[in-house]
Amino acid sequence: MKKTPIAIAGTVAVLITGCASGPDEATTRQIAEKMVQSSFTAPEPRLLKRLEQDRAQQICSKIGDAKLTQEEAAEVVKLARASFKYPASGKLVGNWKVGEKLAHDGAGDRIQRGRLEKRKENGGLCQNCHALAPGEVNVGNVGPALTAYGTQRGNSEPIAKLTYERIYNGWAYAPCSNMPRLGATGHLTPEQITHLVAYLIDPESPINKK
Amino acid sequence: MTRRRFHFIAAACFSVAMAAAHAQSNDPLGVGRQMLEQDNPGDLWIDKGKELFHQKRGPKNASLEQCDFGMGPGKLEGASVRLPRYFADTDKVEDLESRLVTCMVNLQGYKREDVVKRAISPAGSSGSDIEALALYITSRSNGMKMNVSLNHPKEQEMYKAGEYLFFRRSGQTDFGCVTCHGDANKRIRLQDLIHMTSKEGVQGVVSTWPAYRGAHFVVRTMQWRLYDCFWQMRLPELTYLSDASIALTTYLHYQGNGAVTRVPGFKR
Repeated sequence: MKKTPIAIAGTVAVLITGCASGPDEATTRQIAEKMVQSSFTAPEPRLLKRLEQDRAQQICSKIGDAKLTQEEAAEVVKLARASFKYPASGKLVGNWKVGEKLAHDGAGDRIQRGRLEKRKENGGLCQNCHALAPGEVNVGNVGPALTAYGTQRGNSEPIAKLTYERIYNGWAYAPCSNMPRLGATGHLTPEQITHLVAYLIDPESPINKK
Repeated sequence: MTRRRFHFIAAACFSVAMAAAHAQSNDPLGVGRQMLEQDNPGDLWIDKGKELFHQKRGPKNASLEQCDFGMGPGKLEGASVRLPRYFADTDKVEDLESRLVTCMVNLQGYKREDVVKRAISPAGSSGSDIEALALYITSRSNGMKMNVSLNHPKEQEMYKAGEYLFFRRSGQTDFGCVTCHGDANKRIRLQDLIHMTSKEGVQGVVSTWPAYRGAHFVVRTMQWRLYDCFWQMRLPELTYLSDASIALTTYLHYQGNGAVTRVPGFKR
């Protein structure tokens, strides 16, 4: 219903700016979203839903150097805070040994040649982007180093909660950051996240050893 | 043979020198990279592609010599650096691989589904016809600069859609292309990520595909590269030659205009 003014605005924009600039923003979105619908396949229809953006993802897909407005950032934070779910046990700190394994596991849920990668649980993906225990070489640097995370922050209850929430949905604290909303999107379970929390803040974890 | 051997020894010596230089420049990973680039096995695919191009093949027993990649039938010099581009006969923007498939279907009589099904070869195989042909055709533009134009409205549409898709985040990892390729000097574990929103970075990409992929022992194309990124992002499978793949390629190639083609590239 609202498409008509957008289409008219688009036509006017094209007329004003000439042909070299291509379609306007709204038309481009329409064209590209149609492409998304026609350009992918999955072994099960439900997996195609992964291509659909939620509201936060839409906001966080700024093109080029375009910046988030304050209102947009506030909306992403609000959506993130509303997404938090905690483990049934209420315990936010699990087992660091399980967390260590998860942090170095980059597999799970990928789709290739008509098959979904079947595993009991998804890996935590941490190693892909973060420096972990001291001396580990095979680590990425897309995210900040987590080496000595607990040494620097301690393992108090508020730190455990903050750490849990930053893994569950980090956009509550850094809207649209590169960090996946691992809990909110369902990539990890709340229980898995408690093990990652332990891996980060437990004084016995290799993360916090010299 | 002797000459090859000489080249190998020269390359080895050069590698050692470069290794020392890299070690000093605090880039231990550069050592291996440098050594591998010296003797690119992908070169073997060029001859294979050339043979396939001129051979009479398919149900119509025809060669690809009449295939028009935009420079006129059979003219390959400078063709790949202007792709993707709009083709009036198909009324579509086509990249190198989709144009190739168009010709294999129209000129040689192959079934489109069959060609597409075999386009991306299994790792460790001798590679697909498309992979060899795409490399051969691109190699005929070696030394030439990427020069994609957006004169046709459909080319502009593709470009704008490609840009939109590059920044579009979705799925359980919230990733878009830009998540990994929007900053300089980033790595996933030890793999360097190319900074594609910089001119230098994107030029390095568009000038080096098709490339020999060390881990797969075959030559891979840009279509494969895009497919593999979506796999890693946990998204559904990018359809070979789909609009989204052409849009992203149009965006990247246009951004990389001016890059000097040097194929086959060498990737880990």
